[in-house]
Order: sequence, then structure tokens, then C-alpha cells
Amino acid sequence: MPEPFHPVPIPPTGPAPAPPGLRPDRAPSEPEAAPPAADLPPAGPDEVALLIDGRPAVVKKGTTVLEAAAQVGLIIPHYCYHPGLSVAGNCRMCLVEIEKMPKLQIGCATSAAQGMIVRTRTERVRATRTGIQEFLLINHPLDCPICDQAGECRLQQYEADYGKGYSRFDEEKVHFPKRYAIGRNVMFDAERCIKCTRCIRFCDEISRTGELTLLERGDHTIVGTFPGRPLDNLYSGNTVDICPVGALTWKPFRFKARVWFLRNVPSVCAGCARGCNVDLAEYRNRIHRMTPRVNMDVNRYWMCDEGRMSHAALDDRPRFEGPLLRAACATGPLQPAAWEEALDRAADLLREVADGSGRNALAGIVSARLSVEDLYMAKKVLGEAIGIPRLAVPPHESGEDDDLLIRRDRTPNARGAALIGLGAPDVRRVREILQDAASGRVRGLVVVGEDIMEAGIVAAEALDRLQALVVIDWWKSPTVDLAHVALPACGYGEFDGTLVNFEGRAQRARAAVRPRGEAEPVWRVLRDLGRRFGLGGEYATASGVFDEAAAVLPPIAGLSYRVLGSLGALVKGA
Amino acid sequence: MAFEPILLRNIAKPGSETIGSYLASGGYQGLRRVLKEFAPEAFVEEVKASGLRGRGGAGFPTGAKWGFLPKATDRPRYLCVNADESEPGTFKDRLLIEKDPHLVLEGIVLSAYAIRSGTAFFYIRGEFHEGARIFSRALEEARSGGFLGKNILGSGFNLEVIIYRGAGAYICGEETALLESLEGKRGLPRLKPPFPAVVGLYGCPTIINNVETLANVTLIAERGAAWYAGIGRPPKNTGPKLFCLSGHVKRPGVYEAALGVPLMELIHEYALGMMHPDRPLKAVVPGGSSMKILPASKCDVLMDFDSLAAAGTMLGSAGGFVMDSSTCIVDALLNIARFYAHESCGQCTPCREGTGWFVKVLRRLEHGEGRPGDVDLLLDVARKVEGNTICPFGEAIAWPVQSYVEEFREEFDDHVARRACPLARMAAS
Ligand SMILES: Cc1cc2nc3c(=O)[nH]c(=O)nc-3n(C[C@H](O)[C@H](O)[C@H](O)COP(=O)(O)O)c2cc1C
Ligand code: SF4
Ligand code: SF4
Ligand code: SF4
Ligand code: FES
Repeated sequence: MPEPFHPVPIPPTGPAPAPPGLRPDRAPSEPEAAPPAADLPPAGPDEVALLIDGRPAVVKKGTTVLEAAAQVGLIIPHYCYHPGLSVAGNCRMCLVEIEKMPKLQIGCATSAAQGMIVRTRTERVRATRTGIQEFLLINHPLDCPICDQAGECRLQQYEADYGKGYSRFDEEKVHFPKRYAIGRNVMFDAERCIKCTRCIRFCDEISRTGELTLLERGDHTIVGTFPGRPLDNLYSGNTVDICPVGALTWKPFRFKARVWFLRNVPSVCAGCARGCNVDLAEYRNRIHRMTPRVNMDVNRYWMCDEGRMSHAALDDRPRFEGPLLRAACATGPLQPAAWEEALDRAADLLREVADGSGRNALAGIVSARLSVEDLYMAKKVLGEAIGIPRLAVPPHESGEDDDLLIRRDRTPNARGAALIGLGAPDVRRVREILQDAASGRVRGLVVVGEDIMEAGIVAAEALDRLQALVVIDWWKSPTVDLAHVALPACGYGEFDGTLVNFEGRAQRARAAVRPRGEAEPVWRVLRDLGRRFGLGGEYATASGVFDEAAAVLPPIAGLSYRVLGSLGALVKGA
Repeated sequence: MAFEPILLRNIAKPGSETIGSYLASGGYQGLRRVLKEFAPEAFVEEVKASGLRGRGGAGFPTGAKWGFLPKATDRPRYLCVNADESEPGTFKDRLLIEKDPHLVLEGIVLSAYAIRSGTAFFYIRGEFHEGARIFSRALEEARSGGFLGKNILGSGFNLEVIIYRGAGAYICGEETALLESLEGKRGLPRLKPPFPAVVGLYGCPTIINNVETLANVTLIAERGAAWYAGIGRPPKNTGPKLFCLSGHVKRPGVYEAALGVPLMELIHEYALGMMHPDRPLKAVVPGGSSMKILPASKCDVLMDFDSLAAAGTMLGSAGGFVMDSSTCIVDALLNIARFYAHESCGQCTPCREGTGWFVKVLRRLEHGEGRPGDVDLLLDVARKVEGNTICPFGEAIAWPVQSYVEEFREEFDDHVARRACPLARMAAS
């Protein structure tokens, strides 16, 4: 979902105003008598009290009329206002009546004042909205049938609410470029643009890259870039989200699905340690786009482009859809097998190593990309049931932390790994294990969610000496190609689980699509492997696993899926 | 026509733009007097007492505007001189800049002193190459004469004046667009509040005044508020005023008269009457292209702020254009509408879209392709622009549309009914 029509995030608990849905208040335009001033509630020293459509509101000084109205559940329609950007006041959709002011005033730029009497639903206000709609549409192409924005387009929405339903404009429209690649991932249709300047302000104020500007004047005004500097920054996709119409579209999503078919699943991006809150948009068991979901404590309204595109790996990377076994001799090809057979083989191989060379010849590499549930089961099964003495977590770092969202730590759950007791990601420990594998000291290795070939620490031949290489992963990595047993796991978007971001906020990632083939969540694969080493317990659902983890791990004591809700919760000591 | 020019007293002298000529006729005496006799605040009071109202268009009392500056501030204050003069029909500031730059500059120094500003910006319309050249020479002359720079006339007051040339956009005459442009940005009007007196250039308290306004300040310094307030129609319409007359008059030009001069006197005595004696007066726009039109029947008015307001229009920038009976009002409005469609900054919805719409409908009307309902459509669109925009540019086109249609409704309807321009004056485009 692009940014919600509601101007301020709705608090998860407490007496929140009715959820706005997609429709702003449909205004019955009955004239409202001015409520007596006595109705004004008392205001504190930093507050002002005002009446909006007769509803008493007490808001902090400096709050705008538009925001004050939202706080009492009245949505003043708006295009250019965005809670995360400076006020531009250019669309004029939010004009409302304020007593003692002869002209209508824009709600987005007018500060609420003590005793103010605001009317947002009078005939005059309504007629003005109709007028703004008409102005916005006279030069608009009405591409709705082929426009990706249709269905979540404010122009459509407000036209349904306030529009005339017919046009008085019988002239040639102004024409602009229609398929202009304004950036690497963003397509611009200048005819659909309503010049709200949200995209420009985003690039000036948030990404601080300043690629966009207005060019030309009057009804020839057009958003453009400077010569040789396309819209190309690490956060460019946000301009698409905040564009209230279909002017900016996200190239990877263009013409992929009509938005009303999409099912938005609230989740968390796994691209880095920030853990931006996202919606995964599913249609026909595919994730078609990832968009930021408002969480003022994590990502506010934004996410980065890399995260936004991260779901593509699910479809683009090679998968293996069922368990794979290496045939009788260790050099034979990998062949499909049934789950039970594969798990039995994995257990047998690991047991053979333990029996032949001792448990110290076993090691495990588990990923901080896995969820709390997965890692908890890894500790439980690999560490305790099988008794693998060394488990290491590889780091994945790239670049530097920036001052917006992106973290150098590209794993989403390093804090989770640490609080479970797996230690912080540590390349030295990983290297030691791999060197020991090359030298023959380690003879059995379990790799979960990592491609150990990726780091280039060891050559493929180095792993030749392993008696048992058991790999649990969601894609057919080069490591999988070397495995004796490869067990298919759910990829991002296919599992439910919890990720703890760098600030210690535990947040729920959710399954948006069914797993590919026979893939299973990692925690369940580990559970079933564990059963072969005497693991008890039920472990029927991800939330059940989390509950047990919460019961034994003090930092997450008291947390549950219900408590985490859609915005997550801080772990203790965060 | 007995008005002895005050503002224009020097312009006919050869070399009037030089400091020598200016000093010879008593120039910079007002500055000398004020620096010696007035504290800045006292001079603000003096200007208030003079009744001077801004000559840039809105007629806001100048002293009162200066009084809006925050009393205590640790930030610099700026004076911005609005020399962007671009309103069609208006060409008075240019005359002052080119012919008597020191009269303007003295007013700038005086005003900067009054508001305690150490830096003034002279924002001059890009097309005024000559004006910019002349004014920068005047700055040099004044600096060597001790009227500008450090310790002006030994008073301890310092002032630098920086000339900034616009890039040719009408909207940059709007005071907040001017500030944006000065800051090196696209000239888009700002939302108000905050007003420039509080948050202006580079976020600092700023006063914006028109060139002619500042020239008047020089007069007040020279001869005092009481003298000044005796000119025109006190108490609210005082002082001399430059009137621009163009259109169907015999001698178009800039004329100086006291505020309150009758419009018909301006036309017949100053501009020597109608260009073609056989074509009667049809209408006058007294205040520049953004003001409402007066049909001939309403032209018996006095040319001052309040008389014109009472007549339903405004003095504006006093750019008066006179139209005789050969004028097609639809064509005249189309001409103006094209200007506004071209100059709208494009920022806010009603103005950006409405200005273009006006042109399209008017062009059809004038070309004989009008349809029933077109005229009411114009009125309705104007009503939706008026009052709903970021800056007064919206009214600057909505008012002409409304008033031209209201005053000359029959002529508009006639265009529709005949499917042709009755005067067969097809617009060029
Ligand atoms: C569209 C528009 C254009 C304007 N152009 C000018 C101009 O060219 N020169 C000017 O002095 N004032 C112009 N103004 C008026 C200024 O905004 C401002 O009111 C004036 O400079 C204030 O000076 P004053 O108080 O000395 O009159 C314009 C206003 C608008 C809305
Ligand atoms: S931007 Fe909105 S109104 Fe315009 S074509 Fe797209 S869906 Fe339709
Ligand atoms: S492209 Fe979209 S966000 Fe940018 S100005 Fe146009 S409508 Fe607004
Ligand atoms: S009214 Fe016109 S000129 Fe003024 S800000 Fe709006 S679009 Fe720009
Ligand atoms: S939302 Fe207030 S003007 Fe656009």
C-alpha cells in the first residue's frame, strides 16, 4: 500500500479514531450551527482547543488544522500535504472555512488556534473541492483503464467523492511526455502529474539528493530532472509511493497487477538491520511489490530501493522444490528425495560423524537472516539435541550506515541471534570452522540459510573432505550444489517469523505467499531433524515456537505475536 | 493641469541620472537631515505621519509595514527594492531608475536607516539592461560621495546595496517570489503567514518596497511629513503619484499628479485626449492589467486608492490603459489572459489550470467558435480561482475576467450569438 490516506499514523492501541479506510468522510452538507463557545474543552499550557465541525479538539500548539481534524477523526482531503514532508500548500484541496476569516484557508498550513471554529463540510467547502477536482482533471489524460495507480489513486477517489461526474472542458488538453524514464527504476507520465511537488520535496528533504525540480510555468509546468542527473538515489521508490496519482510508477511493478487484486500482508523488510515495516502485495501467489508501511519508530514512511526490490529474489533465484540427496557415492549427482528419507539421511550422516570422530568434528553455520523462531530451533536442535559444539553466524556488511535508513549490517536479525545465545555475527569463527573443514578437523557441517561459498573463504575442494554437509536453504546456492543433503526452506515472504532490528525492536515478518514446492519453514525442518535426535515438545506453529522462546529468553520475556502486533515491541535491554 | 512635478522634477535635465546633477538640485539633503535629526524609529513615525502608501500595487501604508519588523532580533534585517516592474501597462519605475536613480537610492538609504538594515537588495527586472547599468553607476557615485557604504555622511550608519537582475518572470514582482528568486531559487510565491517582515530573505526579517514608494521616502525626508501629507487627498491618499497612460490616447506616457487627480483629467489634459477624435472612450483599466475595468460610464473617478476601491477597482500600479470604441473587449481580455497564462508560476492548482482554460475559451469566443454557456463558464471558473490561490496572481486574472464580462456582457454574448467577433478583430492567435 502506498502511504495511507490518513495523514497521521493511527496509534495501535487506545481510543483511536475510526480507521479511515479509503474514503474520506463523505460529507452530508448540512449547514452546521456554530456550537456555543462553552463547548470548548479546556486546553493545557502547550495546547489549544478548537471546534472542527462542532467536534471539540485539543491539540498541541503548532498543530495544523488538517492534523487537528485528523485527530478527531475528520479527514480533510489533500494531495500535496504529506506528514513526512514540508508543507507546500499548492494543491488547494484542503481549503476549509474558518470563522472570522473571509477567505477559505488551507488546512495543511493554517495553525490551529485557541477558540478557532473550523468547518470542513459546508456547501462552500464542498463546492471548492469540486472546483479543484475540475481544475486537476481538465488537463488530465484519464488513463485509468491502463494506469497502474487506478484503484489507489487520489484523483479517482476524490472525484468519486466530490467530482461533478462530467467535464465542462471541451478544449485540447496540454500534452506532455508520457513514458519518460525519469530514473533507473521510476517511470514518469507527465500528463498524469498534478504538480503536488511531493516527489520534489522528498528528494530535497529526505533522500537529500535533489534530482527533481519544476520546469516551465503555468499549465505547461512539468516535473523534471537536471541535465545528466536522472532520479537515481537509494530511496527513489518512495517518490512512487507518495505520488498521489499514477504519474510516477515503479518500473518493476508496471502492468503487473491491478491493485484491487493485491492482498497486502503487513511484514518487515529483511534487507538490513533497520527492519523497515512493509506491505507485501500478493496476487496469485506472487509478491508483486513491497511498499513501506508507516512505523514512526522504525522507518517512518520510507524504505530503500534495495529493500523494495528484495522480494524479486524469491522469483528470480533458482530454487529447489524438494529435498535433495546425493546418491550412494559422495560424488554422485543430487537427486530428489522424500522429506522423511532426506531427514533420515541427514541424521544418519551427522550421527556417523559424531560416532566416528566425536562431536567436536561437527559444526554449524547459521544465518542472521533467519528469524528468531528459526534460530531458536537451531540452538535447540543443532546445539542441544545433536550437540554440535560450534555454531557460528556470518556477518553480512556492506557500505556504511547512512543517516536515513540503510544499515551497514545487511542481516535483519543479528540482535535476535545474539539474544538467543548464538553470539554476534563473527567472521573469525566462521573462518575457523571452514578452515577446520578444509583441514579435516571438522567432518560434519550443517549450514542453515547461508551460502558459504559466497564469502569466498573456502574453495569448493576444501569441502570435499566433509563426510556430512547438510544444507537448509531456500534457494539452490553453490553450497547446495555441494551438499550431501539439501533441505528446501521457505524464502522471504513465505514464512512467519520474528526479526529483531538493530535497535532491539522485535517485529513480525509474515508469509504472503505459499512456499514453493515442498519447502518448509526453517524452524520446522530443524524440528523434524531434531525429532531424530530425541527432540520433544510440540512446536506446531511459529507463534508457539516464539512463545517458548519468550518463556526461556529473558530479553523477550512477555512478548508474543499479539504483543508485537503490527508495529513490533522493544526487547528488554534495547 | 497645474501639478508641479516633484518626483519627476529632475528627469528633463540633461545628465539627470548623474550624481552631479542630483546634488545640484539639492539631492541627498534629506538624507543628511534625517541622519542628523532622526533616530531610525523617529523616521518610521515620520513616514507613518506622511500617509505614504505603497506604490507597488496593494497600497499598503509604508510606515505601518516597517512597524511589523520584530523589535528585538539578532538576525540581520534586509530591505528589498522591488524594481521588477512587469505589470502590463506599467512603466513608471523604469523612468525613475533610468532618469533619476539617486532619488530612488536616497530613498533606499533612508528606508534602510529607518528599519536598521545594513544590506539592501535592488531586484531589477531582467529586461531593464539600461536601468541596471545606470543604477550600478549611481551606486558607485554614491559610494564615492559618502552616501553609501561605511559610515554614511559620518553618521555611523553603514549600508551596502546589491543589484540583482531578475530572469524575466512577471511573478518575481510578487514579493515572496522575489525573495525566492533572490535566494537563487525558482520564483514561486511563498505561503503567508509567515510574512516577510518576520521571515523573509534567507529567513531574516525583510521589508519589500516598490521603487516609487522609496522615491517618495526621499521627498518626505526632504520636506517633512506635514508638507507631504498636504498633497493629494489627505489623510489616506497623500503624495504625488506617477500615472502610466497607454492605449488610445494621443500622448501616452508617465505623468505625475497628486493622488486624487480625476481620471478624465489625466486622459484629456495630461495625455491630450483620445487618439482618434471620432472614436469615443469605451473603457479604462486604471490600475494595470490585473485590475478591474471601468466602462466609460464609470470613468468619472478620482485616481487614488480609496476612490478607485469605491468604484469597484483598484489603483494597483497605476498602469492605466485607455480603450476606445474600436476595441473588442473579448480580444482585450484574451490578450490579458494570454499574458497571465504565460506568467502563472504554475504552483497552485486553480491558477495553473484556470489561466490556461480562460485562454482556450476566450480564443474560441474571439474566433467565432463560442458556445452557449461559455460566458457563464468564464465567470464560474474565475469564481473558483478567486480567493483560492497561494498568491494574488489568482485575483490578478480572475478580477479582469469577472469585470470585463460583467461590464460588457452583451459584447461577450454577441460573440457567441454571431459566432464571430462583431468588430471583426480576430486575435492574432
Ligand atoms: C503577481 C504580482 C506581481 C507584482 N509585481 C510587482 C512589481 O513588478 N513591482 C512591485 O513593486 N510590486 C509588485 N507586486 C506587489 C508586491 O508583491 C509588493 O506588494 C510590493 O512590492 C510592495 O511594495 P510597496 O509596499 O512599496 O507597494 C506584485 C504583486 C503580485 C501579486
Ligand atoms: S492517475 Fe488516477 S485518475 Fe489519472 S489515469 Fe491514473 S488512475 Fe486515472
Ligand atoms: S509526479 Fe506525482 S508526486 Fe511528483 S509532483 Fe507529480 S503528482 Fe506530485
Ligand atoms: S496564484 Fe498563480 S502565480 Fe500565484 S502561486 Fe499560485 S500558480 Fe503561482
Ligand atoms: S493539502 Fe493543503 S494545499 Fe495541498
